Amino acid sequence: MRNYVLTTLLSTVVAVGMIGTAQAEVNVVTWGGAYAVSQQKAYGDTWKGEKINWINYNGGLGEIRTQVESGAVTWDVVDVLPDQVRTGCDEGLFESLDRDMFAPAPDGTPMDKDTMNKVPNDCVAPNIFWSYLAFYEEGTFKGEQPSTIADFFDVKKFPGKRGIHTWPNALIEMALLADGVPIDKVYEVMSTDKGIDRAFAKLDQIKEHAVFWSAGSKPIELVKSGETSMSLAYNGRVGAAVLNEGEKLVPIWDGQVVEEQWWVVMKGAPNVEAAKKFLVHATAPQQQAAQAKWISYGPMRKSALDLIKANEPWHHKGVNIMPHMPTREEVLPRSIFADPAWWADYGGEISERYTAWMSQ
Amino acid sequence: MALPLYATPGQRIWHYLYLTVCALVLFFLVSPLIVVIPLSFNSAPFLHFTPEMLTLDPDGYSTVWYKSLFGMCDAEGASLWTSCTDKWKVGAFNSFMIAVMSTMLATTLGTLAALGLSRDHVPFRRAIMGLMISPLIVPLIITASGMFFFFAKVNLVSTLPGIVLAHTILGLPFVVITVTSTLVGFDNTLMKAAATLGGSPIYNFFKIQIPLVAPGVISGALFAFITSFDEIVIILFIGGPDQHTLPWQMWSGVREEISPTILAAATILVLLSIVLLTTLELLRRRSERLRGISPA
Amino acid sequence: MSTSPAKPGGPVLTADGTPLKTSLERSLKLSKLRALGLILPPLVFLVILFVIPIGSLLTRSIDDGLSNKVLPKTLAAFERWDKTSEPDEAMFEALYLDMTAADRLDLSKLGTRMNYEKSGWRSLLKITARGLNRIDGPPYKPAILQLNKRWGDIKFWQSLGAMKDPVTLGYYLKAVDLKYDGNKNVMRVKKHNRIYQMLWWRTFLVSTIVTIGCLVLAYPVAHLLATLPLRLSNLLMICVLMPFWTSLLVRIVSWMVMLQQNGVVNDSLVSLGMLHDENRLAMMYNFTGTVIVMTQILLPFMILPIYSVMKTIPPSYMKAAQNLGATPSLAFIKVYMPQTVPGVGAGCILVFIVAIGYYITPELVGGKDGRLIGNLIAYHMQNSLNWGLAAAMGTILLVAILTLYWVYDKLVGVDNMKMS
Repeated sequence: MRNYVLTTLLSTVVAVGMIGTAQAEVNVVTWGGAYAVSQQKAYGDTWKGEKINWINYNGGLGEIRTQVESGAVTWDVVDVLPDQVRTGCDEGLFESLDRDMFAPAPDGTPMDKDTMNKVPNDCVAPNIFWSYLAFYEEGTFKGEQPSTIADFFDVKKFPGKRGIHTWPNALIEMALLADGVPIDKVYEVMSTDKGIDRAFAKLDQIKEHAVFWSAGSKPIELVKSGETSMSLAYNGRVGAAVLNEGEKLVPIWDGQVVEEQWWVVMKGAPNVEAAKKFLVHATAPQQQAAQAKWISYGPMRKSALDLIKANEPWHHKGVNIMPHMPTREEVLPRSIFADPAWWADYGGEISERYTAWMSQ
Repeated sequence: MALPLYATPGQRIWHYLYLTVCALVLFFLVSPLIVVIPLSFNSAPFLHFTPEMLTLDPDGYSTVWYKSLFGMCDAEGASLWTSCTDKWKVGAFNSFMIAVMSTMLATTLGTLAALGLSRDHVPFRRAIMGLMISPLIVPLIITASGMFFFFAKVNLVSTLPGIVLAHTILGLPFVVITVTSTLVGFDNTLMKAAATLGGSPIYNFFKIQIPLVAPGVISGALFAFITSFDEIVIILFIGGPDQHTLPWQMWSGVREEISPTILAAATILVLLSIVLLTTLELLRRRSERLRGISPA
Repeated sequence: MSTSPAKPGGPVLTADGTPLKTSLERSLKLSKLRALGLILPPLVFLVILFVIPIGSLLTRSIDDGLSNKVLPKTLAAFERWDKTSEPDEAMFEALYLDMTAADRLDLSKLGTRMNYEKSGWRSLLKITARGLNRIDGPPYKPAILQLNKRWGDIKFWQSLGAMKDPVTLGYYLKAVDLKYDGNKNVMRVKKHNRIYQMLWWRTFLVSTIVTIGCLVLAYPVAHLLATLPLRLSNLLMICVLMPFWTSLLVRIVSWMVMLQQNGVVNDSLVSLGMLHDENRLAMMYNFTGTVIVMTQILLPFMILPIYSVMKTIPPSYMKAAQNLGATPSLAFIKVYMPQTVPGVGAGCILVFIVAIGYYITPELVGGKDGRLIGNLIAYHMQNSLNWGLAAAMGTILLVAILTLYWVYDKLVGVDNMKMS
């Protein structure tokens, strides 16, 4: 009797464990919300190859490392953050990708020359730029309107609470910029103890007025409900609120911190060939541009941005998307491109200090 | 508990104060669960009561979130933010499968342990019992971290067997406790009487011990089931994309934004808990009746 | 059952002639074996899948073998160094030899590990590893300094001291805001970076507040349940047990709906005019939120043990005390309450043990200042990947809990634990 039960149990376990590993498909692991939807529309619906399984994750190298080290890789393509792209590639967690397989720009420029930033290694395929920026709702302030990152830190001139996130990325850069550090000197200043002290001293000025958020949907809610007069947010969330929901939110592009987002293929991915084919498809200028129809994140390839510019109104609701692109020329002089190498070195220490600062 | 007739006004005040406090505490325990139910029928995507709802206008209520929960929404109606997915269905299926398998394992192993532990002359009884119950005491975050390191070495991370085995460990203490406590009240003379009457030990075991222990086994199994069904920490640490369960789905939803769809899922789970609770209560009564313990 | 007639003074014999003592011993042994046979499968299962994994946590927390594996020569050269003068050619040569021999993956992992001791190691190792093939031969010192001038910074070299041994207590030190300096003396970390002591304290504080809160709320309810007629008390018991049986995430979601800025509680207070719209109470995503939600979630753990003790106290005791002249309140305090102490103790320890290991609830409702030590363990497990530190924090927490569990066992006995 007991043996019978155990045998049945074990065979069920084995049988169910095998479901989902047999067919050839591509497992694409990415983030949630409107961002995932934009990818499904731009890359998924236009893809003629294998079935795509869209899988949700919350970032981090932990699961990736476990899968590769245990040899039980179930993911194929992953959408990763810039510092993880570097660490992961160094640790051999990602496949190195043949640069020639990717489609060149219409004018023949090879892909790696077509990106707006330097390609860090051979593991990556271009994806998007997104940014942290400040925003407020129209009508919140009488008279002069906030227009710079310094205004965000100035609670005397622009009263009200400020929404900021619960981790230090971008905030250190913004604080120094608001404190008058020239854009090209920000990382130099940040690499000294004094510079970090200076950034925290600036943060101290809004400490009492800070409301902390961690979910991307929260800032819009904070500003719309009037709990805060301004907040930092992901630019795509502000764009979506304006473009899709018709909210009257005003982004402050000055002092935005732009972050990269890359595609990679897992080392030992079960469907490695299909995964590569999918990336060739997803990184082609046409597809890169198509993503911006659904969300206001900037394609990494210049030729994709040109395509959007030439074909406005590009957004699927029939409005211009360029005013919401974090990488358009007009805003670049006052934008900081986040330095993943700096964050890889100092991120741990700064996070500790920020956590301590937050809860004092 | 009624107040005696000769109570002084002071005593009366105390008594009513006491009843009020008790009522408030019970309200504190239950009210959040109750509030979720009407809100899940909100026709607007808000998490508060709309004026239409308060005036009991039928237009204020709808089952649209339940439809989206079951993946039955029309493509046009779904906004970009709440994309229409079958993830809830898949999650519920995964949760159910994992819970069933781990419950079967935990029940088998737990019953064995309890039968062994309640015999006479068991060496190290106390220590073994302590060990068996320890998965209940050790914080899940520690269990999950330890299992993550160990399971990674033996390739069990991100696999279904890995999750089932981990959940079995969590369910085991419940079965051990419930079955042991039914056995504590077990009258051993019944077995001796049966033996005297000529029954073989195996026959007696199935005919006498099993029916008496059954309620304990079943309620232990229910505990193990709900533990696995509701478990999230282990899933977060060692589960892979193929083990996305209902709690995982809620967790990732709650971290991003609480949508009314989550409230619909919550309502269903509240109803499920009521069903389980009722089952358990009926079992308990049956067990007491069988063992001849009258409800005091 | 009959024993054979025994010689006077000789041992009592059983029917087959063996002494009764031996026979009894044998049957006792047999029954022990049978019991163990039943216990063994679940026990082995538990040891392999639970005890060993938790043991692996312990080894993780003190393991520091990687630096010795990758940089053996460099660490040997470090030992010979006086720790204050400028590093000499021999040290750079050792470094060059180690790094050229090292596996690329190991080097990358080591960079991550060394970065815990001093920020900057990660990029320093990476840049150097990339440039090694441009060095043709000795002298190595100028060549490596050319690759990156930070190699001239003595602080990097000094930080090697903290990782020179294959077994380290460094992660435990870190878990209480201490660290090794280059000579392995224990010192405090920089003031701005001290977070762990505060988090341990906060975890303790939250657990204590929640325990006391639960006790205050549970006592009257347990008393009511114990003294009401059975049918009524069974009905109320369902109110107590229902949250117990409802998914944890559902309860958290419910509280978010109740307590958030635009939640049911704030909305009601505003519409009743008891609160101005601008002054809505912040009860969620902070310390208060964590305490309120944890109290509700853990309340049944307090009510049930107190209730089961109160149920056994005969009402006649109170009556007797009052007949002897005590006022009802005096009788309650002097006669009734002391008898409930075992239940109160059990409930308090149970709630406290469960509370200090909490992770999910503070993660979702804790916000800026309501997160506990469990959240930091998860953070280091999943985000920063500092598994050594996570393991050390987990071990400290585990020892604290096992101590309390042991106390609980002494007071109540684990085998007295009952469900529902």
